[in-house]
Amino acid sequence: MIIFSKVNKWYGEYQALVDVNAEVKKGEVVVVCGPSGSGKSTLIRTVNRLEDIQGGQILYNGHDVYGVDSNLNTLRSRVGFVFQNFNLFPHMSVLDNITLAPTKLKGLNASYVKTKALELLDMVGMSHKANAYPNQLSGGQQQRVAIARALAMEPPAMLFDEPTSALDPEMVGEVLSVMKSLAKEGMTMMCVTHEMNFAREVADKVWFMDAGRILEVAEPETFFQNPTHPRAQSFISDIRA
Amino acid sequence: MSQFTQGLEKVLQGDYLDIILRGIKMTLELAALSWLLAMVIALSLVVIRLTNHKVAVAAVAGYVSYHRNIPTLVQLMLWYFGISSLFPYELQMWLVDQNAEFIFAAIALGLCQAAYFSEDIRSGMRAISSGQTEAARALGFGYLRSMRYIILPQGIRNALPSLINHTILLFKNTSLAMAIGVVELTYATREVENYTFLTFQSYLVCTLVYLFFSLLLMFCGAIFAKKLNKVYAR
Repeated sequence: MIIFSKVNKWYGEYQALVDVNAEVKKGEVVVVCGPSGSGKSTLIRTVNRLEDIQGGQILYNGHDVYGVDSNLNTLRSRVGFVFQNFNLFPHMSVLDNITLAPTKLKGLNASYVKTKALELLDMVGMSHKANAYPNQLSGGQQQRVAIARALAMEPPAMLFDEPTSALDPEMVGEVLSVMKSLAKEGMTMMCVTHEMNFAREVADKVWFMDAGRILEVAEPETFFQNPTHPRAQSFISDIRA
Repeated sequence: MSQFTQGLEKVLQGDYLDIILRGIKMTLELAALSWLLAMVIALSLVVIRLTNHKVAVAAVAGYVSYHRNIPTLVQLMLWYFGISSLFPYELQMWLVDQNAEFIFAAIALGLCQAAYFSEDIRSGMRAISSGQTEAARALGFGYLRSMRYIILPQGIRNALPSLINHTILLFKNTSLAMAIGVVELTYATREVENYTFLTFQSYLVCTLVYLFFSLLLMFCGAIFAKKLNKVYAR
């Protein structure tokens, strides 16, 4: 579904991604973890070109993301993306936040889109707030709406860029449980997160990154019990301590 | 005192009242048309400037700089006496038939005010977090559509207080159009004064009318802002 091959990225002199080769298979849940500044967020943001790469290739659902013939806006509309800071549109109600893209970009019938949006809100447990505005919601509620907004475009895969990092501890659970139920339904997911319990319970694969490289790809059980790379070993022992 | 009130009554009846009323109508029409023109141009300027293209940014900066640093009266004169003379003869004649003073006044005032409006909106947009643009783009909205649905609506809300101020300024500036012969409220007032020699009464009426409409604009603006803020304020 998402294939990174020999992906390289520089910020000026600084190399943020170094020869990244990896694949997220259809229906797979991949958790990308690693210390701050290791390139996790940069990597996930290259998939819908919020960050450009300088070398290599990324295939998303069979399309070359950086290919000359790829239409950037069409591509992005097919990638579900959830931000750390939710980024809901504050001037629109919850419902309008969700229906905006499907109506304006896909030109779908308004009442159909609304019915679907309400279903999605129901799924994330937010249907009672359909007419509220983002600033009237808690962080966890906003993030759940943001997930529904991304799902409304019916993307083949969902990307989560530290979706719980800006949340109070007691709101983390509600967002993670939405993500878990998505994973159960077979959604292809790539998540950058520091929630190691989520990785342990939900992930099919854990990618461990440091200094712009993927150092280890493993199943969560193996990764948390017997990491092979020394850097991963010290990371695991640090989070255990 | 009774002499004063008698004068006031005289100004406020018959032909004189008629002149003033027609002046008010002209002032409101001129203000409305140039406001509309200003807003359309201002929004275009903002969108052009935000492309961050070197030439585009320089062009918009030049536009804003010209209109903010030249007296509005000079801009009016330049349009009415200067630029109009460059038009083909047939067009000039046609414009004369169409009330050229009014058209050129609306153009000059609208272009000038667009510079202020665009700066208001631009500063309103700078208050929007970059995450909003990212979220819009990530959903698949291109530059223009992100602007239209997500960025501009928020920018205008942020800019509302200064937009209201500048709308009032535009309303008052319509009085400058008398210099090129637009019979708006100030021009009408001077006519009434010329006929009646009731200088104080004439200008008092004029003052109160301007005050009334300015306060009305402020009042409506405040209600509008309050309504938006109820749901939007952080």
